[in-house]
Amino acid sequence: MSFSIQKTSPSTIVVHIGKALDFRNAADFKASCQEHTRAGVRHFVLDFTGTGILDSTGLGVIFSLYRQLTPIGGQVVFASVSRPVQVVVQLTRTYKVFRQFPTVESAFENLERTSAERPTGTES
Amino acid sequence: MTHGTANNHSVLIVEDNQTLRRLLEYRIGKHYNVRTAEHGEAALDRVEESTPDLIISDIMMPRMDGFALLAALRRDERTAAIPFIFLTAKSDDPSRVKGLNNGVDDYITKPFDIDYVLARVEQIIARSQVYQTKLNARIGRDFSDRLMPKTMPEVEGYRARFYSQPREDGGGDLFDWARATDGSYVFTVGDIMGKGLQAKFYAFSFLSYIRSTIHAMLGSTTSPAALMSYVNKMLIHDKVLEETFASLLLMRWEPDKHRITYANAGHCRPILIGPSGAGIVEYSDLILGLDSSTEYTDKAFTIPPGHAMMCYTDGLNEQVALNGQQFGESGVALCATEALTEERPVTTMLETMLNRSAEHVFADDVLVFWLQRNG
Repeated sequence: MSFSIQKTSPSTIVVHIGKALDFRNAADFKASCQEHTRAGVRHFVLDFTGTGILDSTGLGVIFSLYRQLTPIGGQVVFASVSRPVQVVVQLTRTYKVFRQFPTVESAFENLERTSAERPTGTES
Repeated sequence: MTHGTANNHSVLIVEDNQTLRRLLEYRIGKHYNVRTAEHGEAALDRVEESTPDLIISDIMMPRMDGFALLAALRRDERTAAIPFIFLTAKSDDPSRVKGLNNGVDDYITKPFDIDYVLARVEQIIARSQVYQTKLNARIGRDFSDRLMPKTMPEVEGYRARFYSQPREDGGGDLFDWARATDGSYVFTVGDIMGKGLQAKFYAFSFLSYIRSTIHAMLGSTTSPAALMSYVNKMLIHDKVLEETFASLLLMRWEPDKHRITYANAGHCRPILIGPSGAGIVEYSDLILGLDSSTEYTDKAFTIPPGHAMMCYTDGLNEQVALNGQQFGESGVALCATEALTEERPVTTMLETMLNRSAEHVFADDVLVFWLQRNG
């Protein structure tokens, strides 16, 4: 389990993915995210600093999170995307769905600003 | 003595003596997820909550003894296969024989050596896992076989080749083709996200659906993009396939016009290989299953004389080369270009890749579709 979670506000958390998100730790990642979603977290910043492996199982659990959050006004954004992760994102064309930010801080600021304009849980 | 580090396997301890129950819970709990019950009835409740990987049970207990517990478990097919160890003071032979006759995996008499108990627990769990793995592998191979076609189209002036080498722990690669009444062909290349048996099962269900959708829609549309949009909406709205994500390449081939019309939902991009080098068939749209409003676009290209189009799944580009980096699109394209004029281009390309790989074996499923126009 290489990821670690940092709660930055009641509605937003940052997940530092670490070295790898793949078939070995994808189930743990999913369980942790679900726990936070149940506790009211709506926005996830995924920090891919130094991430060497993102396989299709790993990508699958990120997609599940996206599918779960979108109907309730939540967002999943990527920060500090490493080169190997960028290759996967390009191949699957998922940059069309997951906004990317150069740093965790810029991602977090953007989420806090947009969610203040548009409260979570309400339809835009 | 080592018993491995803490793992996810669970052990249920059934013992009416509180001191002994606590001792076992403490010692075995260092290596396994342990739950306890004070007699057979309570044990059946614990099993109902979640199935343990192994049960250690006393024989003489109030309410329901060990023999009755074992018999109740063996009667129910959901619990019949749980490995079971008797741990008891009854060292007399009739009890031992009765236990063994009832299908108990081991019989350990008190006083016991806790290290011996732990060693037996580890061995028995490992053995039952081997059976499970073997069974999964057999079912997985069966799914893989059924996901792949037995024949390929035979068209004058072309050679169509298909190669698939599924791994037991691989994912859900799929390939299929169909011939339309107007003489064109539809090819499907895809990859269901995830690993192991679950991905293979979803790939199997998914391919059945795509197959029937294509057959039903070929009469009214020949647009791969239209088919793709339809399949995407199905993936998002169908309850069974919910949370299934797939990359998919749908291609319509008109041999008389040497034309391919395709829609690509986030799949590995096809490579067009010619005598002077390779090019990537670039355009693609979002992977399937994420967003129901995704629009897919048809793109077309022609296959010039002496050129080949190659489609594949991520087992190729994610293969790790000698330099420790993945081959990537460009690495795969290079190996394919070198194999263009070979008698058996796909085999040659894969051999070339293996010779340049860090390990002399493919780490994931391998699937290649090769369509070459004569020069």
